[in-house]
Amino acid sequence: MKEINAELLIGRKVCDANGEKVGRIEEFRVTNTEKACLVEGYLVGTSALVDRLSAWTLIRPIDKALRGRVFSVYEIPWEQMDLSDPKHPKLRIPKSELRHSK
Amino acid sequence: MKKILQLTLGIITSVGGFLEIGSVVTAAQAGANYGYKLLWAILLGTICLIFLVEMSGRLAAVSKHTIVDATRERFGFPFFSIVMLGIVAVAFLVLVAELGGIGLALQILSGIGFRWWAIPVSIIVWLLMWKGTFGVIENGASLLGLVTISFAVAAVKMHPDWGGAAHGLLPTMPGDGKAKYGFTAVSILGASISPYLMYFYSSGAIEDKWDESYIPMNRIIAGFGMTFGGFLSMAVLVAAALSLQPRGIDIEKFEQAALLMTPALTRWGFYLFAFSMLFACLGAALEISLAIAYFFAQGLGWSWSEDLDPSRDSRFAFTYTIIILLGAIPLLLGIDPIKVTMMSMALTSATLPLAIVPFLFLMNDSIYLGKHRNGWLSNSVVAIVILISFVLAIISIPLEIIGG
Amino acid sequence: MKLVRDVLDKKLTDREDCEMGRVSGLVMQVGERSQPRITHILVGGKTLWMRIHPWIARVAARLSRMWGPKRDEPVRIPWSRVESVGKDVKLDVKARDTGALDWELWVAKHIIERIPGGGKQEEE
Repeated sequence: MKEINAELLIGRKVCDANGEKVGRIEEFRVTNTEKACLVEGYLVGTSALVDRLSAWTLIRPIDKALRGRVFSVYEIPWEQMDLSDPKHPKLRIPKSELRHSK
Repeated sequence: MKKILQLTLGIITSVGGFLEIGSVVTAAQAGANYGYKLLWAILLGTICLIFLVEMSGRLAAVSKHTIVDATRERFGFPFFSIVMLGIVAVAFLVLVAELGGIGLALQILSGIGFRWWAIPVSIIVWLLMWKGTFGVIENGASLLGLVTISFAVAAVKMHPDWGGAAHGLLPTMPGDGKAKYGFTAVSILGASISPYLMYFYSSGAIEDKWDESYIPMNRIIAGFGMTFGGFLSMAVLVAAALSLQPRGIDIEKFEQAALLMTPALTRWGFYLFAFSMLFACLGAALEISLAIAYFFAQGLGWSWSEDLDPSRDSRFAFTYTIIILLGAIPLLLGIDPIKVTMMSMALTSATLPLAIVPFLFLMNDSIYLGKHRNGWLSNSVVAIVILISFVLAIISIPLEIIGG
Repeated sequence: MKLVRDVLDKKLTDREDCEMGRVSGLVMQVGERSQPRITHILVGGKTLWMRIHPWIARVAARLSRMWGPKRDEPVRIPWSRVESVGKDVKLDVKARDTGALDWELWVAKHIIERIPGGGKQEEE
């Protein structure tokens, strides 16, 4: 077990198991229980950034005009993310096997 | 009864914050060089400021967070630090200009050069913040600032061409000297749309413990207060157009601006100008010092309140102490406050996008504002201000070099 | 709950509603096959400056060793002390005991209280 600074993962580029770029980490989905705060998944992509900025009121018209092609998000379950090198997070699976969250 | 009192004092506060050395000098220069032709720039700046100030107050009243709090929390520290660097650096220059404005006013009244006033003025500004509460600063400085109504009295007494003035409310281009005209217009907008006023106002709303019930009053304060301040700026321009332009006086020295009320009010006009600048710049210096200290304290999570003893919010008090001390240094070195004023207005224009773009996001954030989020009208105005701010940002520095 | 939107950079308050800074960072424990967990909140220190650039963090650390309460490591508050996460993050701690107010108290004692009219911090 090792300790890393979660805030330094924000904005880090994530590549898949084949080295293909997936996106940047913008958010962490966590579950806060009595015993611990567990990381469930990592939100990657421009849509996740918009969500973090609570900016959908402004961005939705642009997204509609661009027919949803620009803003996308992947939710990467915790078990699929390899953080052995926190400066270069990567997936344990190819991008094609990821569920597109949006 | 208490809300009515706060309404009156709130309006006076807006006036004190709006009218300061930047808006007076730029309006006087505009009148002296172009007659009524740049009234549209003051009108545009005033309308933009009304909307921005109303939104600043609404954000604070509903979310109980200041603009700085919300910017740090929503955008994260790295982006926030860029905003902080840009806004604080320019606000500091404006503070130097305001301290210089107080010094110049005292120079006119006493004959003693403004350099000699740098240290006493800084000590007085610091003492008012050290010992004063938010209410004393807010209301005291603003009540004293009422002397600026003399600008309006002087302008009316000189019987302006009202038709010509009305024409000036619509944008026109001069025949020649377009660069200098453009620079003056940019400076007026930079003097009007000052981000520090938004940050100060939202912090003031928290200091005064506003809640959702203050939303209607906030609209009235923003609307009437900024309108009154804009109206006084226009009065300065009209007075300069009538008193300085016919004599071909292009304001290069502060003493020349002091002549703008003398045709209407004779010798009294000279002294009223000096006292108006003294109290308006004092109010502005206090507001900017507080705005900078609020920026650091709120952004970095320190305790802050002008109502607390300095030892209870020590880092906040230390920050404004250092800022005021540093602000005196350029004046001690004899740097011309008018030149600092013009440069700071241009730089304010250049850095406006840093303040306004994040602000647009915050005003549409349902977590902070709930049902009080911006509607289409407010969003449209902010979008226009952003457009203006980007145009200003691109052209202000080249214009400063060519036309300043 | 979303960590960046709801926790990071939020204001911290203690059990007496005293403000004690902002969440500068979060310690995450990761293992090869175990679910990552957030174990500590970090306040102050070089954590904040590391988010901009490591060089700035090094300069800040050097300055803080020369001046002030001489603390360059951030304050670590166990996640178990988080009482609630809302507009602010409320902690079940006493601010003074955590070290989060060390800088505030140092500036008060060494600078502000030495100037007439500065007042005095309450003794505990």
